Amino acid sequence: MIDWKLILEVIGILLYATFMGFIFMGIERKAMARIQRRVGPPLYQPIIDTLKLLGKKESISHGFIYDFGPVFALGASIAALLFIPIANFQLFSSNADLIVVAYLLEVPMLGIMLGAMSSGNPFSAVGVQRGLLTMVAMQLPYGLALIALIQHWGTFKLSEIVALQGAQGWSVTVPALLIAMIVFDIVFQAMLGLEPFDIITAPAEISMGPMVEYGGKHAAILFTQHAVQIFAETAFFAVLFLGGASNLLELLIKQIAVLFIAIFVASIYPRFTIDQAAKFFWKWPTILGIIAVLLTV
Amino acid sequence: MSEIGNDGVISYELKEFKLFEPLFKWARKKSLWIVAFCTGCGGIEIPPLATARYDFERFGIMPNPSPRMGDLFLITGYVTPKTLKRIIITYEMMQDPKYILAHGSCPINGGVYWDSYNVVKQLDRYIPVDVAIAGCMPRPEAVMDGIMEMMRRIEDGTADGWKRYRENYEYYRRNQDELFGEGWREKEARRWLAWI
Repeated sequence: MIDWKLILEVIGILLYATFMGFIFMGIERKAMARIQRRVGPPLYQPIIDTLKLLGKKESISHGFIYDFGPVFALGASIAALLFIPIANFQLFSSNADLIVVAYLLEVPMLGIMLGAMSSGNPFSAVGVQRGLLTMVAMQLPYGLALIALIQHWGTFKLSEIVALQGAQGWSVTVPALLIAMIVFDIVFQAMLGLEPFDIITAPAEISMGPMVEYGGKHAAILFTQHAVQIFAETAFFAVLFLGGASNLLELLIKQIAVLFIAIFVASIYPRFTIDQAAKFFWKWPTILGIIAVLLTV
Repeated sequence: MSEIGNDGVISYELKEFKLFEPLFKWARKKSLWIVAFCTGCGGIEIPPLATARYDFERFGIMPNPSPRMGDLFLITGYVTPKTLKRIIITYEMMQDPKYILAHGSCPINGGVYWDSYNVVKQLDRYIPVDVAIAGCMPRPEAVMDGIMEMMRRIEDGTADGWKRYRENYEYYRRNQDELFGEGWREKEARRWLAWI
C-alpha cells in the first residue's frame, strides 16, 4: 500500500526546503553585504545563479565518479532533511534518529570530495585534504556536544527531545546545555563552511578548493545541495537547542536567528589556517564540551 | 540529448528546453561571474568596483576564481605573448556561454605600448572580444558602463563571442599559431603538467 499522504508531504517539504535554503543563501550574501556597507544582491540571487548554471551549454565531465559525487551529496542532504522533525511533519523516524541525522549531515562533504578527487586537479586535492582534516578536527567537540544533550534528555529520538523541551523548557535554559550549544555553534560554523573555518573553499587561496573543476550542471546540483544542507543544518540546530517548532513560521524564525549568529561571526573573523583550526577545535571547544558532559552526568 | 565528444566534453543541445531560453538569458544577464585575469594595470580598478562605493554585487556579479564556473572573462590591461597563452588556455577552459570584456586601450590597439616589440596589439585577432572599454585607465564608472553594455548585449543575443570562436576556430587558431609557432599547446601542457 502506498502512503500518498507521506509522499505528498515529502515532496512539499523538499520543495519548501530547497526554496528556503536558496533564500537563506541569499540572506547570507545580503547580510554580509550590508555589514560591509554595500547594497548587496537581491535575496533570490542564488536562484538566478542556479538557473544560469543549469542554462550552460556544455559541461565538462571527468568520468563516472565525478558525475556521481554531487548526486551522492544531494541525496545525503535530502536523506538527512527527511529525518529531522520539521515543525509538525515527522516524516521518517527511527529509535536513534539523532545519530542518523548527525552523521548524514557529514556525508555530503564526503560526496563532494569523492567527485573532486576524481577530477585530478591539484587545487581539488588540497581542498579535499583540508576538508578531511577539518572533519576529523570537528568530530570531537561535535560528539561531545551531542553526548551532553543525549545524557541530559535521556533519549536518542529527535521527536522526544522536542516534546521534552516543550514540557521542561528549551535546552538553552539548562546551564550545561548552554555550554554544549556554544560548542555546537562553533562546530556549526565549520559545517556551514563559513569563516573562520572556510578553509575548505578558501576562494583567494586555493581557488574554490574541491569545487574548482565543477561547472555548469554539476555546479547547479552542488548549489541545490548546499541550499538543502543549509536548511537541514539550521533546522537541526533549532530542534536540538531551541525547542523545535510547532509550525513552519516558528521554525523559520528560529532558523533565521541561528543563521544570523553564523553570519555575524563569519563577517567579523578572518580565516584560520588549517593547523590553527585543528588546534583550536581540539582545545577550546573540546574543553567546553568535556565540562558540559561532566555537568550532565 | 547529450553526446560525449572525443575530447571528453559533453555538449548539451537541450532542444526540448528552447522554451526556457528567455529565462536562461535573463539569468545569464543577472548573474555574471567574473574570472579576472589581472594583467597589467587594470586589475587595480576591480577592488573599487567590488567594494562599497560601486558594489557590482547588486547586479549579481561575483568574482569567481574558478574558470569552470565563470562567465565573464575580464582582461584588464596590456597582453604580452606570454600572458596571451594563459588567456587562451583559460578561455578554452571556461564553459559556453562565455563573454570577454577587454578593459583599457591596450587590448584594443596596444595603447601606450603601440611600438613595443613584446605586446599583442590587437587582442581580437586571437580570441573574440565582446565588449571593449577604451581609456587609459578607464575609471570604475566606465567599467560599470561596459558591464551594463555587456548585460544589454547578452539580453538581445549579440554577445556571441563564444559562437564566433567555435565557428571561426580555424581563423583564430591560425593567428595563434602564427604568433607562438605550431604545437605550442602541447609544449605548454608538457611544461606545466609534467605527468601527462
